[in-house]
This record gives sequence, structure tokens and C-alpha cells, in this order.
Amino acid sequence: MSSINLIESKGVLRNNWNAEVEDYVIGCEWADEGNILLVGNVAGGVSALEGETGNILWHKSKTHDGNLLAISVNPNGKLFATSGQDGCILIRETAGGAVIETIQLEKGWVEHLEWSQDGISLAASISKNVHVFDYKGQEKWRSEQHSSTISALAWSRNDELATACYGKVAFHDVIRNKIKQSLEWKGSLISMELSADGDIVACGSQDNTVHFWRRSTGKDSMMSGYPGKPRNLAFNSSGKLLATGGSEIITVWSFENNGPEGTTPGQLECHESFVSMLSFAPHGNRLASGARDGSIAIWGLMSDGHGGSIGTSRMSDHVSSIAWKKDSKVIAAGNAKGQIVSWKVKT
Amino acid sequence: MNNLNKVPVTILTGFLGSGKTTLLNRILTEEHGRRIAVIENEFGEVGIDQGLVINADEEVFEMSNGCICCTVRGDLIRVLGNLMKRRDKFDYVLVETTGLADPGPVAQTFFMDDEIQNEFTLDGIVTLVDAAHIDQQLGRSDESTEQVAFADVLVLNKTDLVNDESVDRLESRLRGMNSMARILRSENANVPVDTVLNLGAFDLDQVLQNRPTFLEPEYPFEWTGVYKVEKGQYKLTLEEGPDPNMSLVALIDQEYSEEDLKDGAEKCVRLYAEDAEELSPDGAISFEKHIDLQLMSDGQKSFLLDIDKNCNLGLFTQHTAEEFDIKLFSTDSEKKNIEVPVTFERTWVAQHEHDDEVGSFAIERKGDVDIEKMNAWLSKLLAEKGVDIFRMKGFISIADDPRRFVFQGVHMLFDSQPEREWAEDERRNQIVFIGRNLDEEAIQNDFDKCLV
Repeated sequence: MSSINLIESKGVLRNNWNAEVEDYVIGCEWADEGNILLVGNVAGGVSALEGETGNILWHKSKTHDGNLLAISVNPNGKLFATSGQDGCILIRETAGGAVIETIQLEKGWVEHLEWSQDGISLAASISKNVHVFDYKGQEKWRSEQHSSTISALAWSRNDELATACYGKVAFHDVIRNKIKQSLEWKGSLISMELSADGDIVACGSQDNTVHFWRRSTGKDSMMSGYPGKPRNLAFNSSGKLLATGGSEIITVWSFENNGPEGTTPGQLECHESFVSMLSFAPHGNRLASGARDGSIAIWGLMSDGHGGSIGTSRMSDHVSSIAWKKDSKVIAAGNAKGQIVSWKVKT
Repeated sequence: MNNLNKVPVTILTGFLGSGKTTLLNRILTEEHGRRIAVIENEFGEVGIDQGLVINADEEVFEMSNGCICCTVRGDLIRVLGNLMKRRDKFDYVLVETTGLADPGPVAQTFFMDDEIQNEFTLDGIVTLVDAAHIDQQLGRSDESTEQVAFADVLVLNKTDLVNDESVDRLESRLRGMNSMARILRSENANVPVDTVLNLGAFDLDQVLQNRPTFLEPEYPFEWTGVYKVEKGQYKLTLEEGPDPNMSLVALIDQEYSEEDLKDGAEKCVRLYAEDAEELSPDGAISFEKHIDLQLMSDGQKSFLLDIDKNCNLGLFTQHTAEEFDIKLFSTDSEKKNIEVPVTFERTWVAQHEHDDEVGSFAIERKGDVDIEKMNAWLSKLLAEKGVDIFRMKGFISIADDPRRFVFQGVHMLFDSQPEREWAEDERRNQIVFIGRNLDEEAIQNDFDKCLV
């Protein structure tokens, strides 16, 4: 369902295709070697779009009772999971979209879903608890109750899961059932990203700061001065650059040479409203960003985090999701109105 | 951002058993045409199909600076943020808190979080009070005191379980703590829905229209009657009433223009401060003296008045004439027992018991404020006293700006917006403060220094 393209794109961005789904895009992710873009929207609709054209391969509506809250594609690209306000997790096949497992948890919102890098384990958080399942839906592990609702999940290793909630980040060994590390800081942590080597943990906080820890040394730092909540964070593939939102300006911290403490971060300016999404390309130092007003930008960065815009485009509303293809040559983004746009990114 | 495009939120607070769930169900039943999202506390049990009911965890988060004024409800931020994503949004939100909750963090959430502030506006805080139990609760718990202090609407519920006199006394006590709230009485939380929803971001004008006495000073008497009398003997009769005694001051030559009445009232305030002279039935009332009429005996009681010239007689009584059916009769032989009609009467705002630490007062001044001085003063006041200021709301007239500015605050946080233009209206300022142990005089004086 690629439509007539009216979007003006500049620089390295070239319009690829447009598509539309029912409502606010909760997540879009590439699957099946980039041949399919999977999209989940808040009204419970799940769609598979053809990677080349944006044509709808299949669509399921109202898959969850209430809102759909999360979508996560298995690294093998053949399976994906969604969860919702109905306390339910559905594991589906990318091809055809058939449900292969239904996991019904207790009453509550299943807000976060993450597959481990090896694709064997699926972590899901519901209120103050986390469960880990295999792809057949069998529960392998469940956490002790956390002190508050879990706000983010990330796999640091295939057997180690990080959770963030009010006041702390905890690393759980899901095989031996113990907490391997607990990083505490009194503040409401609202998002979490791990560097590729798992050493740096960065969290956005409700009080307009970014807090990070280095696991190896336990050394931590707080970056303040954000005008808004820096909910959106992204590490580049080397784990040396951390891009942060919380403003119209993107602030990029570099961990090269004992930074970022004491260094001047890169300040990327071109969005006219708050940044709402950040995503680094799988290779190199290109960053894609989206803002509340629908503007999209691609940035070329140096190792010190400084750089400039190399491409811009625009969507109809608040950018809610951005996904790079593995080859770093195509991106897709979804927005609050259910618009999906794909661009080719010139190298 | 225009408040009109934001989704209004009403916070329902009150102790366990005060009738919150009954009121919630009533709202959902009567407003079935609307899309209402209800965020209940984790123990909430609204048993109703309509409306989207979400049980929240009531996670109160302190911000890292450790200031208690900056606590917010993390669960609300998450839940509301998620609900707002849908295209078919709801058009009203009700947040029910647990009985023991401090309403501060819930209210502050709508001021502290920019994403929430962009989409929602706090319409009002409705506190239900169990008429039979609140007296003890107010003495024992800070939470119930704060729930009363924060309220825009106080629903005095279960009034059928206590006598009228207790309800009156309770209302007076609550009024003393929070003069800003509209007080409603109900038996089974059966208040009209439009008295608790869509308060329209507290139009203070409307509040004042409904209750014009709210900014007036308080007096130790509730009623004044002026009688045109000739030289002669009179008797004042009282039927059985609610109290065994009642204070009174009688003044000769009391005129009844507003100014004269105020002068008389001031004089009586001073007289009321003196020790009362007890007077038994059939005794003679002295003028310009604090008299305490003894009313213990059964049936009608009479007191005598000897008037030595034609004049206007003013009676300032502790309770209203209606409560004792007070009447004045001539006792002279030629006009025996002819009732003297009251020429003019008015009621006053009775003094409340100020034994509660929590109280409220209003500043009302004509003219314009210097916005820079005002900002400097408010920042300092809120930084120093924000913990004790529960709520603040009102409007101000800023020099050289054609618009009226309305604002409201919770503890240290406040939000102000330009509203309609003043046009022909007299430019003035009005601010209500509700808080604990506030120094009214200092605040009034400091405000005066901000006037142009």
C-alpha cells in the first residue's frame, strides 16, 4: 500500500515508501533479514509490511484486549512477541502471523518485552515482576517482586537480565537465580540502555537527568541540565557514544579517553520540538532522530560525539519508533498517527 | 497551551468508608455517554462495566533533590502517558486515592511532569468526609487534614447518621480550615454530578458569586436587626432554641447603611471582647454592654428594654433571629403587645473555631501588581513556606497587560495562564491561601509591596 510520496527528504535520505496502520505506532522492527517490517500499534493491531514496498503482507487487528504495550522481534527474525494491558503475551510467526504461543499472566499491564541476543529467552515485565520464558512459552525464571514498577528491561548477556525501576538497576542471573549486581541511585529511572559490551548502564530519570554507571569499576555519574525528561537514549555500536534526548537538542556524550566526565558533549541542533526517538545505525556513527513535531534527521558523528545533520525529512506527527535495517542503508519510522515511512540512507 | 484542549482530571480523596466508591459509581452511571477513565487505588473495587477502570500501584516518587514538595505519582505518569496514545481517547479522568493518601503527590503530578501537563489539566480535588467520623480523624491524622485542606469540593457525606447541629458545627470547622471549597451535604454520596466534575479550573468569580461572604471578616455575632422605635417600654421574646444562652449587644441610634452597620459591628466586636453580664429572663437589657441572655428555662423568655427617645435600635446577636424566633413587642399600655417589625436585618460571617493548625485566608486588593516584584516575592514565599502552603489559587492584574492572569499552585509548584481581558471590569487581585500555620498578616503585607 505504498502511496504517493509527498514527503520532502534532503541530504542522505531518499524516500522509499509510505504506509499506514490504525493508530499510534508502539514499535516497528525489521524481521526476516530485512524482508519484513513488523509494526504493532496501540489499538492492538499488528501488521507485517513488505520491506521493499511497504505493501501489507498480513494484518491482525485487536490482538490484545485494551492497548498493545510492547512488541519485540526475536533475533532469528522468524518469531516475534507482543504484550498488552490484558496481561497477555502472544508469540507469533513472522510469516503469516499465526499465534504459536499464548501466555496469560496475572491481571496487569505487560509493559516491556525483550528477547535475549541468542533468541532463546523472552523477558516480560508486569508491574513489579519479571518473567523469563522460552520461545515455547514455558516459564524459565521469575524475579522476586521489585520495590516498584519496572520501567525498563535489557539483556546484558544471554543469561543476565537488567531491570530498572525507582531507585535502582539490578542485574539478575536468570540461570542461577541471583542478583549479580545492584546499582542504586535515589531517583525515578524511566529508561535504560546498555552499551554493546554491557559495561555502561545509562538511565534517563524523571527529574531531567541522565545517570550512568560503569559496571567494571562501579563508578557512576549524573548528567543534568536537560530541560525535559531524557527518556530517549541510544548507544552506538561501539558503545563509546551515548545520544540523549530531553530537549530539542540532542546531547551526545563520548566515553573515549576517560570521558564523558569533564568533556564537552556534542550538541546536535535542527529539531524544533523535543526529541522523541533516537537510534544509532548498526554500523558506524550515524544517528537517526525523530521529534514530537514529526521531523526526522540523520546525523554524522565523530568519535568525540560532535557532528552535524546530513539528512532530514518529515512525518505527519510525533515520531514514536525508528528502526535501522542491519545493513545501515534503510530506516523505517512510525508515528503517533499510525504513519509508517521508510527511507533509503545513502552511504 | 490552551486548557480547553486538555483532558480534565478530578481527584477523589477521602478516608475509607467516606463513600468514594459510591460516588464513583454514581458518576459512571450518570455520565455513561462520556468516555471516562478511572484510575483506582490498588484496593479499589468499582464493580461496573462502563468506563475504563485501571488499578494503579500508587507509587509515590520523591525527586532526587529530596524535597517533599516534589513528590509525584510515578504510576499516574505511566498510566496516563500510555492511555493518551490512543486515537479514541477518553474525555475525562477520575483518580481515586486510598483513604490514607496525601493528595499532594497526585496533584503535583499534574504540575511537575511536562508530558502530563501538556495533555491534562487538574479540574478539581473532591474530598469526601464521613460526617460521623471525621471529627476524630481530623485530630488523629495528618492525611485527613490534608485531604480537607486540598479540596475544591468537600462532600459532607452520611449526614443522616448525625444530628443537624453536629453537621453545622462540622461544616464550620471545615470552613475554618478551607474557606475556598464548596461544601455539599449528602446522605449517600448523592450529590449532583455537575457539582463535582467540570469545575472549570476553579472560576473564582463563580465561587465568590455563590458565596459572597467568603472574603469578609468574621464576627462574633451572626445577626443584626434594626428596629424603628419610639420612646417607651419594650420586650424582646425568644422561643426555645439550640443553645442554653446567647450573647447580645443592643445599640441606640444604629443606622442601617452598609457603612453605619460596619461601624456598629466594629463597636460590637470590641464590646463582645469584654466579659458578658449574665441576664435572667424578665431582666432589663443595658445598652452598649455585652449581655449573656440566660435561656435555660422552658418555653418563651422575655427581656425588657427601656428606650428613652425615638430612634433606631440595633441588636447584634450571637445567633440568627430565626434560630430563637426573636421578636420585639411594645409593652406601653396604649400599644400593648404590638409587634415592632424589623426595619433592616443582615447576617454576618460567624467566627470559626481556629483551633486547627490548618486554615485559609484570602488577599483581595484593587489595582495592578508589578510582575517582577510579584515573581520575586512568590518565589521566595514558596521556597520558604511551600511545605506549609497546600494550595493557592486566584487571579491577578498585571500592570500594562490587558488580560487577567489566573493561577493555581500546590505546595511549591504553580502554574499561571492569561485568561480573558479585563475590559470594563475593575482591575483587582484575589488570591486564596490554604496552609498550615500561615502568617496571614505578613503575607498580606508582602503582597501589598508588590502593588504598583
